[in-house]
Amino acid sequence: MSNESNSGNGGGKFDQARRNFLRGIGLGTAAAVAQPAWGGQTFQDTFADFFQKDYRRMSAEEIEAALERIERKAEARYGVEIDCQNTLPQPGVVYGYAINISRCKGYRDCVHACVKENNLGRDSQVQYIRVLQLDQGDFNLEHSDHYYEPETVPVEGKHYLPVQCMQCDDPPCVKACPVEATWMEPDGIVVVDYDWCIGCRYCMAACPYWARHFNWTVPEIPAEEMNTNTHYLGNRPRPRGVVEKCHFCIHRTRKGQQPACMEACPTGSRIFGNLLDPDSEIRYVLANKQVFRLKEDLGTEPKFWYFSD
Amino acid sequence: MNSIILQCMVCVISLVALQAAAQESPDSSQPLRFEGYPGASEFTVVPRKDGLFFYPGGQCHEAMEPNPEIRTLNTMHDAEIEHGRGRIWCLSCHNLEDRNYLNTLLNELVDFDESHLVCGGCHANRHKDWYFGAHGKRVSNWQGDRTLYNCTHCHNPHKPAIEARAPKPAPPVRAGLKREQGTEHHKSSIWDAKEEHEEQ
Amino acid sequence: MTVIRFIFDSVREMFRGPREYFIWLLALGLIVLFGIWRYSEQITEGLVVTGMSDQVSWGFYISNFAFLVGIAAAAVLLVIPAYIFDRKDVKDVVLVGEGMAVAAVTMAILFVIADLGRPDRLWHMLPGIGRFHWPVSLLAWDVLVLSVYFLLNLAIPFYVLYSRYRGREPKFRLYFPFVVIAMFWAISIHTVTAFLFSANPARPFWHTALLGPRFIASAFASGPALIIITLQIVRKLTSYHVSQTVIDLLALIMTTALQISLFFVGAELFTDFYNEGAHAASIHYLFFGLGGFSSLKAWIWFALALNLTALVILMIHPLRRKTVMLNIACVMTFIGIWIEKGMGLVIPGFVPTPLGEIFEYAPTSVELSVAAGIWAFGILVFTLLAKAVIAVEQGKLSHQSPQKQRYTL
Repeated sequence: MSNESNSGNGGGKFDQARRNFLRGIGLGTAAAVAQPAWGGQTFQDTFADFFQKDYRRMSAEEIEAALERIERKAEARYGVEIDCQNTLPQPGVVYGYAINISRCKGYRDCVHACVKENNLGRDSQVQYIRVLQLDQGDFNLEHSDHYYEPETVPVEGKHYLPVQCMQCDDPPCVKACPVEATWMEPDGIVVVDYDWCIGCRYCMAACPYWARHFNWTVPEIPAEEMNTNTHYLGNRPRPRGVVEKCHFCIHRTRKGQQPACMEACPTGSRIFGNLLDPDSEIRYVLANKQVFRLKEDLGTEPKFWYFSD
Repeated sequence: MNSIILQCMVCVISLVALQAAAQESPDSSQPLRFEGYPGASEFTVVPRKDGLFFYPGGQCHEAMEPNPEIRTLNTMHDAEIEHGRGRIWCLSCHNLEDRNYLNTLLNELVDFDESHLVCGGCHANRHKDWYFGAHGKRVSNWQGDRTLYNCTHCHNPHKPAIEARAPKPAPPVRAGLKREQGTEHHKSSIWDAKEEHEEQ
Repeated sequence: MTVIRFIFDSVREMFRGPREYFIWLLALGLIVLFGIWRYSEQITEGLVVTGMSDQVSWGFYISNFAFLVGIAAAAVLLVIPAYIFDRKDVKDVVLVGEGMAVAAVTMAILFVIADLGRPDRLWHMLPGIGRFHWPVSLLAWDVLVLSVYFLLNLAIPFYVLYSRYRGREPKFRLYFPFVVIAMFWAISIHTVTAFLFSANPARPFWHTALLGPRFIASAFASGPALIIITLQIVRKLTSYHVSQTVIDLLALIMTTALQISLFFVGAELFTDFYNEGAHAASIHYLFFGLGGFSSLKAWIWFALALNLTALVILMIHPLRRKTVMLNIACVMTFIGIWIEKGMGLVIPGFVPTPLGEIFEYAPTSVELSVAAGIWAFGILVFTLLAKAVIAVEQGKLSHQSPQKQRYTL
């Protein structure tokens, strides 16, 4: 039933390109590369994976079993023992994020910290955060440079705008999904059940912030760089053919830690916290700074603000 | 009716508090204890002294005569103070008598771990933002213990501007695809066009 | 059971014919197999074998899907005159049109499935065991209307043909309500498909109230174009009577629809370009290129030229009445709309991305091959259905004299 053992030798042109790529980033083993996305370890696991219910309909025991399967699969695919949890939302907490764009220098430290923290496929080349470089006096995103690579940043005459999932309060992506594989959690994080998504990518068309990304191939993560602290709705290794997105580091933030991008930011541009707590840092920013939201006119109510001072 | 009584009570209490504060004259021999901004959540500051190369500065300066004269330093310290561009001098922040302490504009002693109190003397808005979390950096948590990095963790007090550095690599594109280089498609700024026009 | 014998006889009829007929079936079958073989590549490797990316996340598959839903909807242009206005000449060929609708819906659904990252999870959509996000998700709406339209277009001809097979007249009160439903449903499938795109404020290029009307107008131009050609082929290859009046009627409808369609395109161009704001970036990319990228430019001008030329031919009555010229206009319209409503509509919606990045898309050989396979499958389905339909309509198949009929063609 599980056909993972032989498909690695398919040897398409693509396989070759992928191997070369992997070699390029110094990953010696390509053995685990071409396993099918639904490759479970055993017949039982494959069967249970296939008939797994969606996250919100699973009982506690079923979730527990699913978590264990995820751990077994990660062990099989990446040779790493991960800890996959299902930390629940804290009551009375809704997350909000703010970025001080006059502080941001465009280092992209957040981008790369996110890639590591969230086990983003080095092969599939997904990044949740884009830092846009814009001319001073210009805020038209169509004039932005995503691929700036000067000797040093900030470049004179430019300013920087990091963009990631805004965790909209009225998320168009959630409305778009035909199978309810994506939804907003009680703490305001828009999550994806990677085991329920059918990969139609309608949510990607619906998102005004280009926050949703697709696993065009099996995400490859070097074993030694795997973050073993994972969450079902967050940074656990993803299968191929499904959509994923920034989840405010759900495995960290639900335990009171900062998101990885915030921790990595050397300039302190990023401010994160509980919108329901009037004494929180985020609420101070909203009350005392001139904040704005990107594409607010679309009415999606982003929980992500920008300000400058 | 009730609210008027309540207001009166609040007035009285605040008056009493103000008087008490006035009577507590600062003791210049003790490090200043800044009470902070009302409403800011509790926090601790990451100690700074461990990271300071010259601390405690008193060991060297013990043997020297305190010299308040503004001059070019030709010792081991930074010869140039970029901070303030000539409007401040070492002793604007460092205590003349006791080199193990900083001092405020009012000549109050400040511990090196509390250096934000010195910075806040001039940069009051930033200082307040830092207190409330809109400026600076909090350590690891958004919830629970609130530990803040000090101003001087990020800003060199003698040269406070953050220096430019190389960015991390640009984003890749999906495996198997290549990004074609486009032409610069953004319009030049209005003033660029104007300047070109004038040149012609 | 007569029903079973009817199905059995029909299926038998589908696989009977001269040698050329079998060569035709075989050729289509081979293309289908080739498509399946290339699709297996996509299954084992993932959608990485396509040209799609996070930037342009829908491509050739969805482009064909949008176009084919229009073709399916256009069958209503035969249904209305046949059943509502009771035109005998149209009634003769209406079942052929409905067969075309079935084939087009089949292709549309196959294109969506080919586009899925996880076709193995299609069952997640089934209400009950899965989660069907209806009525919120427009994609759920589309699945619903397409499935029902598919069933309607199977059921009505099935009933009518079955009645013929039994030598009876189909009962008006039994089929007419479904015909009325099917009429409105045809409009709805294409409107919903247009809404699927126009529901996204994130994509200003699609986010226009004109998109629904534009879809319908262009469908009513490209659909009749295909039907006109197909009916002529049927007339040529079989002894089945296709009245010239039907073709004239369709040509007239097509002329009007193409006029309206091009007017809508013009309205769109004016609104976007008179005061060229940020919302015009996509259409600018489409027609003139943007930031040095212009892979669709040649295609859209080509499509526009085809449509305009076709319109000129269609609007000059002596030209339209010449079969050759009409056929040229039909082919031009079909290709023109296919480009305009396919790649010309879907791709620019993604260029530039919501964050202003310009990243181009070109279909890979896998996408082209799979698409060819699906088109071949659709044509195959239509051929088989039309074969059975014509046989029944001509009275070759009937339960009274099955033995006699079985050995004549």
